[in-house]
Amino acid sequence: MLVTLAIPSTIVCLYSLLTRGAYGGVERPWTLENFKLLGDPLYLMIFFRSLWIAAAATALCIGLAFPLVLFIARSRRKNLCLSLVILPFWTSFLIRIYAWMFLLRDTGLINTVLRGAGLIHDPLPLLYNDGAVLLGLVYGFLPFAVLPLYATVERLDPALLEAAADLGAKPLDALFRVTIPLCAPGIRAAAILTFVPCLGTYLTSDLLGGSKTILIGNVIQNQFTAARDWPFGAALSVVLMMLALVLMFAARRHGEELV
Amino acid sequence: MNRRMFLLGAAGAAACGKTKPRLNVYNWSDYVAPDTIPNFQRESGLRIRYGTYESAPEMLAKVMTGNSGWDVVFPAAEIVPPMIEMGLLQKLDHSRLPHLNVFEGIFRNPPWDPKLEYTIPYMDGATGILYRRGIAPEPEAWADLWDARLRGKITMLDDPPEVFAACLKRLGDSINSGVPDQLRGAARLAMAQKPLLRAYLNAEVRDQVIAGDVWAAQAWAVTAGQAIAAAPDRLAYSLPREGFARYCDTVAILRESRRGDEAHRFIDYLLRPEVGASIAQATQTATPNAAAQRLLPAAMRENPVLYPGEEVLARGEWFAAQTAASQKLRDRLWTEIKSA
Repeated sequence: MLVTLAIPSTIVCLYSLLTRGAYGGVERPWTLENFKLLGDPLYLMIFFRSLWIAAAATALCIGLAFPLVLFIARSRRKNLCLSLVILPFWTSFLIRIYAWMFLLRDTGLINTVLRGAGLIHDPLPLLYNDGAVLLGLVYGFLPFAVLPLYATVERLDPALLEAAADLGAKPLDALFRVTIPLCAPGIRAAAILTFVPCLGTYLTSDLLGGSKTILIGNVIQNQFTAARDWPFGAALSVVLMMLALVLMFAARRHGEELV
Repeated sequence: MNRRMFLLGAAGAAACGKTKPRLNVYNWSDYVAPDTIPNFQRESGLRIRYGTYESAPEMLAKVMTGNSGWDVVFPAAEIVPPMIEMGLLQKLDHSRLPHLNVFEGIFRNPPWDPKLEYTIPYMDGATGILYRRGIAPEPEAWADLWDARLRGKITMLDDPPEVFAACLKRLGDSINSGVPDQLRGAARLAMAQKPLLRAYLNAEVRDQVIAGDVWAAQAWAVTAGQAIAAAPDRLAYSLPREGFARYCDTVAILRESRRGDEAHRFIDYLLRPEVGASIAQATQTATPNAAAQRLLPAAMRENPVLYPGEEVLARGEWFAAQTAASQKLRDRLWTEIKSA
C-alpha cells in the first residue's frame, strides 16, 4: 500500500508545488503559482462540467444497475448473470469503445440498419456529442455499480419483504420503503465507485466525444503531454484527488449516521 | 493516436539469450517495415530490444531522465534543438555512416540540425486537406474548411500545433508564431470553426473519410496517402495555398548510450537505399532518403501526396520548438477552444 499509493501521491503533490521545466519535467523554485490558476473561470468551468457529467453518468449507472441487480438476485442463474456482467472486462476498454464507435458512426451499424429499414433518411448524429460520452461512461462503469449493489441486495432477507407485504405494503412501497433504504450502503459504494473514475476519465470524451468537449481528465493529460506543464497537471490532479477524498469521507460519515 | 497510427504495440522484443550484444531502439509505433528489425538482427548478430511510443512528449519524458535505457530514438525535428541543448543526444561519427550520402537538397542541411551533427532525417511529410472529390468548392485553401456548407463533415487534427498552424497560415502568420495577438487571433478562428466540425481526429480519420462520414479533413500526408490508396477515384489531397506545416522525424543516438558502435551500425543500416525504400513502402510514408526514393515503384515515387515537388513544398514551413511562454499561452488558448 505504502509503495503503490503513498509514494506516487506524494510525488504528485510535490510536483504541483514546483515550476515547469521548459520541455517538461519540473524545476525549482517552489511555488503556489500552479494552484492560482485554479481560480481561473476557464478551469473552474471545466471542473463543473466534469462533475456534472460524472454525476449524470453515476445516476444513470445506479438507475440501470438497481433493477438489473434485483433481477439477478431473483434469477436461478445468478453466477451466469454475474459472469456476464464481468465478461466485458476480458477485453480492453479501448477496444470496447472502438466497438461503440463502429456502432454509432454515420455509416455504422445502427444508422445503416435504420436507413435500410427506411425509418430515417439522413444518418442520426449519434457519435461525437455529449450523449455519446455519457453513453460510453455508463457502459464502461455499469459493472462497478452492479457488483457492490449486488453484494447488498443478495444479503437482503426476503422475510423482510414478506413482512412488508403482510403489513399491507404494495410491491412498489416495499421497494422504496424497505429495499432501497436497506441497500443504502451498497448504493453509496456503487456511487463512489462510478463517480470517482468518471470524474477522471479522458479516453471516453476523446474517442466518443471527438475531442470536442474537454473534461478535467483531458486537461490533466494534456499538461503531461502536449503542453508539457507537469506542475500544473499535478496541481489539477491534487485538486481532483482532494475532491474524490472529500466525497468519500462525506459518504462514509453519512453512512455511519444512518447505521 | 498520432500520425503513425496507434496501438500497434511493441514489435516482439526478441527472445532472451544474454550472450548477444543488445541494442535498445525506441521508435514511433508502426514506423518500420515488418522485416526491418529481424533482417538487421540476422545480419549483425545484435539483439534489438524494440519499444514504441505514441507521442513525442512521451519519449521526451523518458529520455530526459538520462537513464532511460534506450540507445536509439526517433525525435521529431522540432524537438531536436531542445534535445541538443539539454545534452540528450550524442554527436554522430560520420565516418561510421558510409551511407550518409543518400540525402539531397534540404535534408543535407535541415534547419533543425544543419550539419546533421546529431540527427539523420528519417521520414517526412506535410499537413494538408484530405477531401472527398466533387464537393464544391474543392478545398484548395485552409479557408475552405470554414465553409458552412460542409457543416458536420469537417474534421481537424486533435493536435494543438497543427490546428494553430492552419489558423495562423490562414491569417498569413508563421506556424511557429509566439506573438500573443497572432495566437489569440488564431484561437478566435478555431473557435469560429468549431460549430462546423464533426470532431478533432488524428490518424483515425482515415477510415471515416473512406466510409464517407467525413468530407474534408485536416490530415497528415501519411493518413491521406493510405486513404487515397483505398479509394483513389473518390478521394484527393491538397496542400493549401496559404501555406502549410511540414514535419520530419529523425533518428539519433542518446548521450546516455554506451553502445555507440552498434547504434551507428543500426543507423547506417536504416540509411541503406533498399532498407529505406522498404520502410517507405511498408509505412506509406515519404522518405527524405533520395537514393531510397529512386528504388520505389513509380506509382509511389510520383505520388503527389507524398512527394508534391519542390514548387509546392516551398509553401511549407517546418515546425519549430516553442518558448515556455508561448507554449503556456498556446495551451491555455487550446483549452479555451476545446471548452468553447
